[in-house]
Amino acid sequence: MQVKTFSSASVKGFMQAWDENSSDGFNPNAAIVFSSVDIDLNGISTFIKKKGVRLFGSSSCGEFLYNSSGTVISEGGLVCSMLKLEPGSFDINMFSGKGIDCFNLGRTAGEWVVKTFKKPAIFVVASGLNTDGEQLVRGIQAVAGGDVTMFGGLAGDDAHFNETYVFSESAMDPQGAIIMVLDLSVYEINGISTSGWVSIGADKIITRAEGNIVYTIDNQPALDVYKMYLNVRDEDLPEIGVEYPLLIRKQDESFVLRAVLNVDREKKALIFAGTVPNGAVVTFSSSPGFEIIESTRKEVNEFYKYNPNTDLLILFSCMARHNALGPTISEEIDEVWEKWSKPLIGFFTYGEIGNNYKASCDFYNQTFTLVSIKQK
Amino acid sequence: MPKNLQYIIDELRNLRNPEEFLAARDRILEELTRVDSDFEKLNFKYERSNKEKNILSSLLTRTSADLKKVSDNLKIRAEELSTILTTIPAYVYFKDVNLNYILVNQSYAELTGLPVDKITGRSLLEIFPLYKSTGYLETEQKVISSGKENYNIEEEIEFNGQTRWVNTNLAPIRNPAGHIIGLIGISWDITERKHYESELKRAKELAEAGTMAKNEFIASISHEFRTPMNGILGLSEILKNTPLDESQADLLKGIVSSAENLLVLVNDLLDFSAIEAGKLELDFHPFILDRVLEDVFQMLNMKAREKFLDFSVLISEDVPKHLIGDSQRLRQIIINLAGNAVKFTEKGGIEIHIHLLKSTVDRALLRFEVIDTGIGIPQEAKESLFKVFSRVKQNQSKLIVGSGLGLSICKKLTDLLSGEIGVESEKGKGSTFWFTLPFDLTGIKIQQKEKTEESEFKLYTGKRVLVAEDNLINQKIVSFQLKRIGFEVDLVDNGQLALEKYNENYYDIVILDIQMPVMDGYEVAKAIRRKEAITRNHIPVIALTANAMKGDKELYLAAGMDGYVSKPFTPETLLSAIQQAEIIASRSRV
Repeated sequence: MQVKTFSSASVKGFMQAWDENSSDGFNPNAAIVFSSVDIDLNGISTFIKKKGVRLFGSSSCGEFLYNSSGTVISEGGLVCSMLKLEPGSFDINMFSGKGIDCFNLGRTAGEWVVKTFKKPAIFVVASGLNTDGEQLVRGIQAVAGGDVTMFGGLAGDDAHFNETYVFSESAMDPQGAIIMVLDLSVYEINGISTSGWVSIGADKIITRAEGNIVYTIDNQPALDVYKMYLNVRDEDLPEIGVEYPLLIRKQDESFVLRAVLNVDREKKALIFAGTVPNGAVVTFSSSPGFEIIESTRKEVNEFYKYNPNTDLLILFSCMARHNALGPTISEEIDEVWEKWSKPLIGFFTYGEIGNNYKASCDFYNQTFTLVSIKQK
Repeated sequence: MPKNLQYIIDELRNLRNPEEFLAARDRILEELTRVDSDFEKLNFKYERSNKEKNILSSLLTRTSADLKKVSDNLKIRAEELSTILTTIPAYVYFKDVNLNYILVNQSYAELTGLPVDKITGRSLLEIFPLYKSTGYLETEQKVISSGKENYNIEEEIEFNGQTRWVNTNLAPIRNPAGHIIGLIGISWDITERKHYESELKRAKELAEAGTMAKNEFIASISHEFRTPMNGILGLSEILKNTPLDESQADLLKGIVSSAENLLVLVNDLLDFSAIEAGKLELDFHPFILDRVLEDVFQMLNMKAREKFLDFSVLISEDVPKHLIGDSQRLRQIIINLAGNAVKFTEKGGIEIHIHLLKSTVDRALLRFEVIDTGIGIPQEAKESLFKVFSRVKQNQSKLIVGSGLGLSICKKLTDLLSGEIGVESEKGKGSTFWFTLPFDLTGIKIQQKEKTEESEFKLYTGKRVLVAEDNLINQKIVSFQLKRIGFEVDLVDNGQLALEKYNENYYDIVILDIQMPVMDGYEVAKAIRRKEAITRNHIPVIALTANAMKGDKELYLAAGMDGYVSKPFTPETLLSAIQQAEIIASRSRV
């Protein structure tokens, strides 16, 4: 596989950069674009369609790019990876989430995936502020198997929390999923998910929840509990909710983080990026400070030991990390570039999906989810 | 950073001309950008820390409020628990892993007669110096070492000179890490309950003894019925063979039929009480299935024909002919079911089907079906059909003869023989009663004898039989029946005479009543076998008995007999017993 990456701040700049990168005869058959909602996403689709290239696109909450000509961490711009993949080794498809729940959306996508390749690896990004990422993952796994290789995240919209999108060369959907499936007999794909967030405060019980909507915590309205405990002003929600997720303890003593994606002020409910089960024992959580960068460095180094070679790195990093680390976010992404010095592209997400080498695929919040793609 | 700034300032100070300034400008600008970026990062960190500080302090406040609430709740819980412990009408104690008391409740303290603080930290033997058993301490030790609860430990102990029964539940206590740190014991005084239990047990034993006695009484009464029944049936048989006019023959038929019905009732009762008393003996031996079915056919065909019913027996070709099993009980089950079918069918007929369900080299599972076109059985009656004294309700005007024990006996017999029994029926459309029984397959072919009277005459003509029987009526019956099949009969009325006759003459077979004056049947048989130990012969010896209880057979066999006939008997059963005994005796000859 061949890879070229570039960034831009407008559709026009995007078209110019594309042509420049093609001028040496480079003839890509696929593109990955992570872009701000401020950019005309339709314009990008139309251009790429004309080029006869397949597109895997998602709106972002900030995007970044590392290559030999420099480093970009931007908000309001776009990053693109032009790919020349082996013919017949990949496919891209969009699935609309209208009139279908997240689990069944996952199922439908999973059915297409298993039909496409015997040994598939999945890249999935979903749009929609009320999307339950966990149910989407479970739906795909229900068809493709619990141990299927899968990475991705939830699309962002520069923290406006209005509308997020996924798009291909021919369609755009504010409530759906885009999937790129790769043939694992051609590519080697591995990744890690690491968060670094820590539990704070006393244990609480989820006393009423439906799917990813939590109505009461310790029998109090969830929104009131959240605001009171974290001393949060109403106008800071839902933005701040991404930074202070609930930490759900599982029975095996592991935990998952669930960030607040939205609030229902009328019902005093919190809408999370993934399922929060009734009766779950939870605490609030916070980034412990700048030491999470250290923890990421350790994980990246460990991952590098087993995967020293790569063609392209894709990073799905939670927007909450950006909020928590501010400009110092570059320090943890720098680590990746310093290790591999291979093209890296990614965006700040509203949720991440990933296999960890320690466990099967799950839906996360607050994580740094890094994927390496290498042609065998 | 300050170092870099110092460097820039020094450089600016040392500038000597505009060219140098231009060269330095770019470096200075670059350095300033970096400073700006570092400042931005620092500034962010500062703001961030402030924000987090606020949130954390809020969380801390809330969490400490939570903790206070939890601790208040805990206090209330602790008080509640303490109240429960004090007032619970049970002895409650906690012990550490060394089985020393950590805590006991008020009831327990009262039981020991010691204040609570004199109990804690001490062991059981220190509290109850008179406690003798070590079993209880071992049980506690086991709960600690295994981590498993032990419930309902009942023990009789002595307190203050009084004997009391207590029931104790023991459970290990674990710390949050799951390690066992002691145990909790809860005991109840169950002395009263124990008292009632022993009374109940006694009452139950009395009731059971009563039932047993009743069963034995019924068994012995039915047994007593048999001797006179034998007389009636046997003498009727003799009478039938004398010249009779038509009305006399009819009257005799009535006597025989009533006596046979009565015999069925007595037999049912005897069987049932034998089964209930666990005294029914099964007798497994080689037999020919066709012979059993011929008996059944002969017995029931006549009755069916009297009611203008068809009666047929169909045996699948793959059904083995030579089987090992209890032919007598098999016959009984079929006769019972087929007899019922005849009884309850007014039109049409009765068919008996026999199929092979499964077979191996040495085992066969057969299914017997008795299919009738009778009145059928309503669904609700099916379940209780095989229960004792169960009768399907009939029209009042129709009197159906029977004990109501027949199907119950069939069920018990099939159970005893490891088979199953059931019925498929629809009211008004007839019934199919079925049962399955397993049989061993015999390697020995039984020589099938033509079962016509003539050939039997031929078979035993010229053979000599010695019969010892003290009852005159029975003497008449036995000798009549034996003479009919060709035997020459020598009759004696006690065991002593029998032995003398045996020593003086040659006989082909010996038939001995068991209960006789002077010398009983067992003694005679034993004496015969003792003698044969020298002569190396083995004459067939058959017991003639009114007993058919479990254990009797062992006695006959132990005495060296080859078979037995239970009174009252038909000519067929006597013949069959003779044939069986001959086979066994022939095998016993060296």
